[in-house]
Amino acid sequence: MSPLPASCPEELGLPATLAAYRSGGQGAWDGLFDGDGRIRPVWRPFIDHIGQIGAPALQARFARADAHLASSGVVHRVYGDGAGVRPWPLSHMPVMISASEWSDLAAGVIERAEVLNALLADAYGAGRLVTEGVIPAALYAGSPEWARPMVDPKASNAQPLRFYAVDLARGPDGQWWVMSDRTQAPSGAGYALENRLAMARALPDLYRTMQIDRLAGFFQNFRSHLVSLKRNPDARIGLMSPGPLNETYFEHAYLANYLGLVLVEGEDLVVRDGALFIRTVAGLQPCDVMWRRVDSDFTDPLELNTRSRLGVPGLTEAARQGGVTLANAIGSGLAESRAWMAMMPALAAMHLGRPLRLPTQATWWGIDDSARATIRSRFDGLLIGSAFGAVLPGVGTGFALGASLKAEDRAALLARLDHRGIDIVAQEPLRLATTPIFDKGEIKPRPFVLRVFAAFTGSAWQVMPGGFARVSDSHDVNAVSLQRGGRSADVWVVSDQAVKPTSLLRGADARRVRRSPGALPSRAADNLFWLGRYVERTEFMVRLVRAALARTDRHENDIYTAIAATLTSWNALSAFPPLQPPAPADLARMALQNVALQSVMVLSRAALNAASVIRDRFSPDAWRVLNELVALTERPLRDPLADVEADDRLRDALRLLAAFSGLAQENMNRLNGWRFLDLGRRIERGIGMARLIERFASDDPWACDLLLELGDSTLTYRLRYVDMPERISVTDLLMLDPANPRSVAFQMERIAEHLAALPQTGPHAAGVLAQEWQTRLAKADARVFDHALPGDCAAALLRLSDLTIADHVRPSKAGGQV
Amino acid sequence: MRYSVRQTTHYAYDEAVPFSRHIIRMEPGSRAGQDVLAHRLMIEPSPNERTEDRDFFGNRVTRIAIDSPHDRLSVTVEADILLQSAILPAPHQTAAWEMIASHALTEPAIGADAPGQYLFPSRMVPIDPAITAYATISFPPGRPVLEAACDLNQRIKADFIYDTTATAVDTDPAHAFAMRRGVCQDFAHIMIAGLRGLGLPAAYVSGWLRTVPPEGEMRLEGADATHAWVSVWCGRDGWIGLDPTNGILAAMDHIVLAMGRDYADVAPLDGIIWSGSGHSLHVAVDVVPIMELPTDA
Repeated sequence: MSPLPASCPEELGLPATLAAYRSGGQGAWDGLFDGDGRIRPVWRPFIDHIGQIGAPALQARFARADAHLASSGVVHRVYGDGAGVRPWPLSHMPVMISASEWSDLAAGVIERAEVLNALLADAYGAGRLVTEGVIPAALYAGSPEWARPMVDPKASNAQPLRFYAVDLARGPDGQWWVMSDRTQAPSGAGYALENRLAMARALPDLYRTMQIDRLAGFFQNFRSHLVSLKRNPDARIGLMSPGPLNETYFEHAYLANYLGLVLVEGEDLVVRDGALFIRTVAGLQPCDVMWRRVDSDFTDPLELNTRSRLGVPGLTEAARQGGVTLANAIGSGLAESRAWMAMMPALAAMHLGRPLRLPTQATWWGIDDSARATIRSRFDGLLIGSAFGAVLPGVGTGFALGASLKAEDRAALLARLDHRGIDIVAQEPLRLATTPIFDKGEIKPRPFVLRVFAAFTGSAWQVMPGGFARVSDSHDVNAVSLQRGGRSADVWVVSDQAVKPTSLLRGADARRVRRSPGALPSRAADNLFWLGRYVERTEFMVRLVRAALARTDRHENDIYTAIAATLTSWNALSAFPPLQPPAPADLARMALQNVALQSVMVLSRAALNAASVIRDRFSPDAWRVLNELVALTERPLRDPLADVEADDRLRDALRLLAAFSGLAQENMNRLNGWRFLDLGRRIERGIGMARLIERFASDDPWACDLLLELGDSTLTYRLRYVDMPERISVTDLLMLDPANPRSVAFQMERIAEHLAALPQTGPHAAGVLAQEWQTRLAKADARVFDHALPGDCAAALLRLSDLTIADHVRPSKAGGQV
Repeated sequence: MRYSVRQTTHYAYDEAVPFSRHIIRMEPGSRAGQDVLAHRLMIEPSPNERTEDRDFFGNRVTRIAIDSPHDRLSVTVEADILLQSAILPAPHQTAAWEMIASHALTEPAIGADAPGQYLFPSRMVPIDPAITAYATISFPPGRPVLEAACDLNQRIKADFIYDTTATAVDTDPAHAFAMRRGVCQDFAHIMIAGLRGLGLPAAYVSGWLRTVPPEGEMRLEGADATHAWVSVWCGRDGWIGLDPTNGILAAMDHIVLAMGRDYADVAPLDGIIWSGSGHSLHVAVDVVPIMELPTDA
């Protein structure tokens, strides 16, 4: 397709859709067209570019962006959704903002951040604003976010706010309005980064040629600031997350990985003598700076919410004593209340002596007579809401338009306004401006809101040049919430000057700013170990089932029965009467999918669950393979089950397991995390092999064949031994040969190596036992085979599993652990 | 009146706990009308970390960590306290309750005594429409606040049954209210919910009652453990204690241990133990008026 002149939209190849767009966007301010129906200059290069690409190629480009997000595992957890997570919906058109407009906006955001920080410092310090009568005490006291244990009139924290976000709506006249200030633990910056990478992948030429401000510098500067807060140079910087059940856990793992912070949950942390530590496999590691992504009230079950299971007992005490600097400080969410929004103009006027550059959405708090009179007289046309989040009739904890309320709720709210007006706020509803989206091949105007991020970087605030836009799927103004649908969009700040090149965002391989090795939290080690065991056991079961299904001829009845009995002993098959094993189809169905047994499906799910809490330690590919394995093993089997279907299922499962092993082997750094994963695999594989030898080793040719098949060593055997399989050579190969990667001796060597390489924090009973057995297996001679050896070895491996956890994952007090 | 208080709380764990961290609120502090002449806190086993402090509400707190396996924890407080006679306002001469509700919103204070602290739902006391409706009966328009509060105090005493088996330490006030049963903690929470529902500042007070009644008088309920009552803000007349469990003003028999928004703010012992097993609790209190003892004893 030849480039087209870009004088008017009809020449762009998308004439019909743009004509329809203009009529659809009547009224509200629109980002793409100005009031005279002309394309705004900031959009011109983008529209020209997509015009050149043409619709079909464009679809392919956007599919590439979606594929990028899917393969990165970008997900947004939706509460109450059975599936739990869903793919992140990306709008393929960014929100465009010119650099000149952006600089005004950014100055307004910085001004707000500074004002809010000063107000929070006073709220947790001298409380001057209350004692001087500027604001009522109820503004603090009414908020569940006012963390009283952090109040200290004598030693106020000068910087309670270090990471701030603001939700902005663009009004019908183009004016930006603040819908809410996010001072607690704002989310979305990591998603914005992912959206940027996806868009850069979809439109690489355009992204290179247009002067779009890069995001990486913002993150780098925030990270440098966090580093500068460390008092102990050896200390780690943590990113504290509530864990995988949180809706933005993906972002926590992503940002921790990107910034080289240690992703921690409450149980990873411990306070000692007023200082904070991470429990790692190398003992307690100091952590004196933490990016807090857990809501304040849940951070300390001792002094805040005693029901919290996400916190660290004593964290408030450590924070008060300066043993840890939290960004943001505990209690910073105070400024998020709707009552606070109502007071914001007055607070800012007092602090600045003039109005804020970015005005706040008009809000009335029913604490005084004039506000109550306004709420009463304009009740139907206002959004009625809860001032501090307590449940109100008809409104819940959110907002509802006065006119939409039922008569009884309306009466209850008006009565409440008389005695407890302090619980109620009302807001002027906003009409939102629109921004273009692609939908089913057409460009359409849709209302949007914009989240902008700012970080304190030591002496000043810096605004992320971009943001996280949420675009509604409909014209309903209230629909702009990702919990209720909608999509997200990248935000491009288009400069008229050349932007500074930043290498960090060029390619996926350069994404990580810094990795801090060595700080493997004990919880992560535990999960990696079990992930290894579960993956290996899954493979073991798949091989056993496959071996059974390959021996269904009448003359192999005994062998089939013996394998079925083995499956039963591993609890993958329910017990059966002597010599009456289930039919092959029943055996396959049970061992593959029975929910009450250690079936292949149950084991794969257990592996995925272990992996899900250590997302930051995985490549997206390994994560995707595990997800595919679970999807495969959970797919319903047909009834009756055909041989070929079972075969296919088993073959596909083995293929995915091999892919996972390959990715773990090739893509994981050879750090402690990899060692724990591999320890789990080696121990499990050793147990499986030793048990099989114990059960099946004999001179019967079928038993030798079976062992070689299950040990994946048939080929090796044929290469090495010309004769028919026999017991001595088979047991030598599978039990004692240190060169065979499937043998028990090989596993034991790897186990001993790993245990010797792990940090030694206390007792090393596991290491001693592994070495003993390594020697014992090396000395054993298959020709004078000790029949008790395989059973003893399996028992020793089980004990090694316990000892590994005891010595290295949860070292006792000698290692400084709890 | 001078009192000597001794209270021991004993926790026994089913198995040894390797590490525990606690916050103890068992030592009284001096405050208006109450001088603490001597006090000490004994903790067994001896903690590895121990810091003493005042919390936001001005209550004495001791934070401890025990870093070696222990299967019990016992905390004993001993204190000598002098209660001064309080001069209470005549209830019918206090300000109209609506005036108090209005002043509470504009009082330019943010400390532990500030009325604004005690207006809102708190962790254990939500605003409850049914309880608010119950309280409203005592608060016709214009009634003096203390007179109305005393009326509510006595109605709770009359309408509710003291029953140590009906509720637990985490019972929600709406539940105790529906049953019309409970102990001092429940009655205090219910009264607080009612007062706050009307926009009046109400605080939760924990403390002790004398265990041996003066000759010829009834033994008060709640004397066998830490007691709880309510403090109502009466504007210029300040905070005034009301004991709905006994239907009386909290005066010469009530020693204040701690004050907060509800039980969660003043729980005598909060702790986290690193162990999966259960524990049992035993509390014993003795509050003896020592002025009545012979001086040479």
